[in-house]
Parts: sequence; C-alpha cells; structure tokens
Amino acid sequence: MSGESLAPAPLSRRGGSLRGAGPLRRGDTLADLGFTEVPTTQDGGADTMRPGALRGAARGRNLDGLAHALFLRLFPVIAAVVLATQVVIAWVNYADQIRLYGERAQMMADMTARALARPGWTHAHGPQLQALALDPAFRSAVLRDAAGAVVGRLGDEPRGRSFERIQVAAEIEAGPAAQPAGSLTLVLSAEALRANAEKQFVMVLAASLALMLAFGLTLRLAVRRHVLAPLARLLSAMGRVERKDWVTVDLAGSRRPSREIADISQAFNRMVEGLRSGDEARHLLAELERTHARLAEANGLVMESLGYARRIQQAVLPGPQALRGAGLEAAVLWEPLHVVGGDYFWIEEIDGLSVVVVADCTGHGVPGAFLTLIVATALDRILHDQGLRRPDAILAALDGVVRARLRQETKGQDGPGPGTGGSAGSDDGFDCGVCILDRATRSLHFAGAGLALTVVTETEVTRIKGRRHGLGYRRTGREEALAATILPLSDGQTFFLMTDGVSDQMGGASRRLLGHKGVAAILDRHRDLPLDGQVAALEAALAAHRGPEPRRDDMTLVAFRPRGR
Amino acid sequence: MDRIQIPATSRSPLVDFDFAAGHLLLRGESYPEDAAAFYGPLLRSLRAYLEDGATPLTFDVALSYFNSSSAKALMNLFMPLEDAAQEGRPVTIRWLYAEGDDTIAEAGEDFAADFSHARFEMVQETAA
Repeated sequence: MSGESLAPAPLSRRGGSLRGAGPLRRGDTLADLGFTEVPTTQDGGADTMRPGALRGAARGRNLDGLAHALFLRLFPVIAAVVLATQVVIAWVNYADQIRLYGERAQMMADMTARALARPGWTHAHGPQLQALALDPAFRSAVLRDAAGAVVGRLGDEPRGRSFERIQVAAEIEAGPAAQPAGSLTLVLSAEALRANAEKQFVMVLAASLALMLAFGLTLRLAVRRHVLAPLARLLSAMGRVERKDWVTVDLAGSRRPSREIADISQAFNRMVEGLRSGDEARHLLAELERTHARLAEANGLVMESLGYARRIQQAVLPGPQALRGAGLEAAVLWEPLHVVGGDYFWIEEIDGLSVVVVADCTGHGVPGAFLTLIVATALDRILHDQGLRRPDAILAALDGVVRARLRQETKGQDGPGPGTGGSAGSDDGFDCGVCILDRATRSLHFAGAGLALTVVTETEVTRIKGRRHGLGYRRTGREEALAATILPLSDGQTFFLMTDGVSDQMGGASRRLLGHKGVAAILDRHRDLPLDGQVAALEAALAAHRGPEPRRDDMTLVAFRPRGR
Repeated sequence: MDRIQIPATSRSPLVDFDFAAGHLLLRGESYPEDAAAFYGPLLRSLRAYLEDGATPLTFDVALSYFNSSSAKALMNLFMPLEDAAQEGRPVTIRWLYAEGDDTIAEAGEDFAADFSHARFEMVQETAA
C-alpha cells in the first residue's frame, strides 16, 4: 500500500482536519478528539500570524497528537466491523456444518435401517450397529421394535447439552416374513464441529487483529513519513524564516511528501526566495543610503570648505569700494565654475592712474585659485614695491615672478618637477591683460598676454588682441614679444577685459562656441545701458546661448570707463 | 607601436592614434580635470613613435572646445611633430573646425604660426 493512497483517507474523513493541527486556523478538530489546544500566543491565539506563533506549534505535540487520536478512533471501528463480519461468516459456516452433519447422520440412520430391514432383524443387528460405531462422531444407537421396547443398544446414553449432539431417527419398515417394524435412533456428537468453529473463530480473530495492526501501523507510518514529517520540517523552516534565516525546505528523497504538501513546500520556497531577495534588496538599499549619507556628508564638508575658500578668494579681489573708485566707473562679472576658480581681476587707483588687471590662470577650481593667489601677491609687489606702471613691463614682471615661484624656469625641461605628481611636471601659467588709464594724458595703455581688450564705442566694437605669450609657463622660445598699445581716450568708449570663459560658451543650434564675435554682438546690443545693466544683460544672453549645456570654464569680465564726462 | 583608441567623454575627446597607418585623430571637446594626466601618455607614445622611422604622418585635430590646459597640451604634442618635420619626416596637421566657428579657427591660426616645417592645413567642416 502506498502512502499516496493511504494518507488522504483518514484526513478527508475528518473534513480537512489537518489544517486544525497547525496554527493557521483554530480548527475544532482537536476539541472533537478530546484535545484541549494549548494557546500558542498570549492572547489565546487570536492573532495567529504574530511572530512566534509558529514556534509553539512546531514542537510537534499537536501533529503527533492528532495522528494518534485519529488512529485510536479509527482502529476500534474498523476492528469491530471486520470482526463482526468474520463472526457472522463463522456462525453461518457453523450452522451449515451442523445442517450437513444432521443430513449425514440421517442418511447413515436410513442406510442402517434399510440394511437392518430383513427377517429376524430384532436378533441379528449386531454388525450393523457396530458399523455405525466406526464413525468417530458416533455416540449411541438405540434399536426399538414397533412397541417401543429396546431390542438393541450400542454406546452410552447421550448426556450434556443438546446442541453438542445430533439425534436422528429412522423407521425400519415391516417386511413380508418375520420382519417386524421398528425404529433406529442414532446420536452423533457435534463437539468436533464446535471445536472446529471455535478454532476458526480464534484464527479469524487473530488474523483480523494482525491485519488491523498491520493496517494501522502502515497507515500511521505512512502519514508520519509523508505528511507529518514534511509538515514538521516545513514548520521548523517557517520558524527559522521568521528569524530571517532564509532556509528553504528540500522534501525530495526518502521523505517524499504528499503532493499537496510538496505544492505547499514549493510555494513556501518561492516565498522564501522572494523574501530573501526583498530582504537583500532592503539591505542593499540601506547600505546605499548609508553610503549616500556618507557621500553627502563628505560633499557637504568639501562644499563648506570651498565656500570658506571662496570667501578668502573674494577677500583678495577688490571690494565694492574699489569699484566705486575716484576715476573709474566699473562693473564686474566674476563667476568661477566651481565656487572658487582661476580667474582673477584687480582694480586700483595709484598715483592718479587707474589700473585694471584681468588674469586667467590654468585650470579652475582649487588649483586655479592657488595660482590666482600667487598672481595677486606678485601683482601687489610689482605695483607697490617695484612701482611699475607700464602695462607691458607689468606683464613681463608677473611672468618672471610666477615662473620663479612655480620653479618653471628651465626651458624644455620634461621630467617631473619637484613637488608635482604630474607626468609632464609643473607647467602652469596664466593669460593676462593690463590696462593703465591715464586721465592726465587722456590715454589708455593696454598690454595683453593671451587676453584681448574689447572697446565698444557708439559706432563699433573693436578687439585689440594680446600677444601670444603665456605667462608663468616654461618658456617655449616661441613667445611673441610683449608690447603695449596706447589708445587715446574719447567720449563714448567702454572697455572690456574678459577671460576666454566668457566667449567659450558651448551652445546654440549648431552647438558651437559663442566666440568673440558673438560676445561683441551682445555687448553692442546693450551698449546704451549702464555698466551694471550691460553686465547683467551679457550674463543673461550667455545663459540663453548655453541652454542646457553646462559652462566650460570660469568666466570673468571687467567693464570700465573713465568717470566724469 | 600599438594603436591608441580612447572613446570620447563629455570632457575629453575621442583619441585614435593609428601609428601603423600614420594617422592620428583627436575629435570632440577637451577640458579634462587634469589635462597633463590625459595628454601625458599620448605625448610619450607620440615621442616614442617619432624616434624611429620616417613614414608620413597626418594628425587630424577636430576639437569644438578646449581649455587653456588642453591648448598647452596640444602645443606639447605639436612641438615634436614640428621637430620631426624639420628632420625630414612628412608631417601634416589638419586643423578641422566647424563652419563659422571663429574661436576654433582663430586658435588654429595661432597654432599655425608655430609651424614652419610641418604642413598645417586649416580645414573647414560643413555641417552634414
């Protein structure tokens, strides 16, 4: 008998009572069976899905108890039915035997009576009666004449209970000559039959008991093996899953579960996999959030530090009072790409001269800002200690000081310089434009190194290019000589010194750089505005040209013109 | 010498230095955070390549934007080319710029002034 066919039998009989054994539903089956359910949770189990609810049931008592109770109930019923059937069969059998025995006895009596029916039988009956005695069941035979007087007798008088003997009678008919009538009474014992029946009954009883026992054991074993054991493993797995120990159950092999439990197990395994991946995703997400928080914190620190650096860099730049200086009307756009940058400007009144300087150092951000500090220090020394006033001389002096500071004097040196990790060594520098505005002579002296001066008048926009001469870099030997340009001042002039970050604005329909011409067109469009307005309009126009494109570089623009016209 | 191929990023150009074919190419925008780190290996490879042989070389530069550090790095790439041309190797630098892009065209003209032995061609690219 296979477990598949056995197991569902007692279960279906109880109407799905198996579910009552688990904690998922508080079935009434256990109560029916005389079991009082042990509450698995404090509130009596009303909230059966609480964590820990499964653990109480997983101890196994309920499952075993249910199985035990099922078998206790089933076994007597089936045993009684089988036994009763067998007893009835035995009884019918016994009755049949008795009847057959009776018929045989009657036949024996009839045959003996027929054999006796001859003249003088009342005297010569010995052999016939003795022949009857050969039957092992024979007890007694009595021969009577017609008057009822006993003429012959063999065996004992019948004793004991009447059902243990079979008594039959046969008439001896009267014959023609000296053959009187009479009767033969034969008594046979039925004890052997009874003993036989008893033996049969005992055998049937024993066989039934053995059969029932075998049936019960097989059933119980099969249920244990294919239902209870897999369920117990499933429950213990559920308990571990509750503690976030992501185990699956593998019910293959010797402990083959019933199909329903196998289905449940597969569903359980899928659920565990889902929970596990969900849990892992949650963990990853939490880890990601922690990382993100750390990054945000690190970024916050860097930005804070940069903000501080910006305040320092702004402190090095001329303040608003310098812009409102005596001889010059000026407006400034100073916009580093990354909080601080490599663009630098200076505006100062010295000895009746207005000095305007704009520098664009290599790189931007913090490295660029470092360079601007070097340039600022150098410029201060050149203007105040050395007292240089010619713009080309100022540029040449800046070139020398910065190159010395960065130890970039050696021409054509390719090995890494000291203190620099760069593969090509330190080769940094800056572009610079210097304007000296002399109101006494009504002239403007300009010298540029890689940086141009733009002059906007009422009629035109002109651009005076600086020389191709990077300052501070290692010398290449191909630099153009620095030289100054002298412009006479006239009414309606506005001057602009700007870094290439202003014109290098990627954008527009053709996605190319705005260029000097583009900037000149914008400046020309807004030339009648006050200087602040011109700068604001330029900034807006640049943003419009960029569109979604990010800026590429720091940008600085100083717009200025002589005051008091 | 192995061919150097680096895909373009938003801040660095496409690099295709096919030394065997004598054809070098830079295309895109160039404003890497550390231009020396980006161009240093290219410069070393170029120098190593120029040390032996005298096969003709063409260098196409098609940049739509480059910052001043990249300009410096370009100059460093151009100098050994000019030296090689002076020693007799046919070297052509083709400066490709978009039609109407005055900034890049002007920059090309500035670079052109540095060459006296290598050919420096200004090539205007029309929008496709």
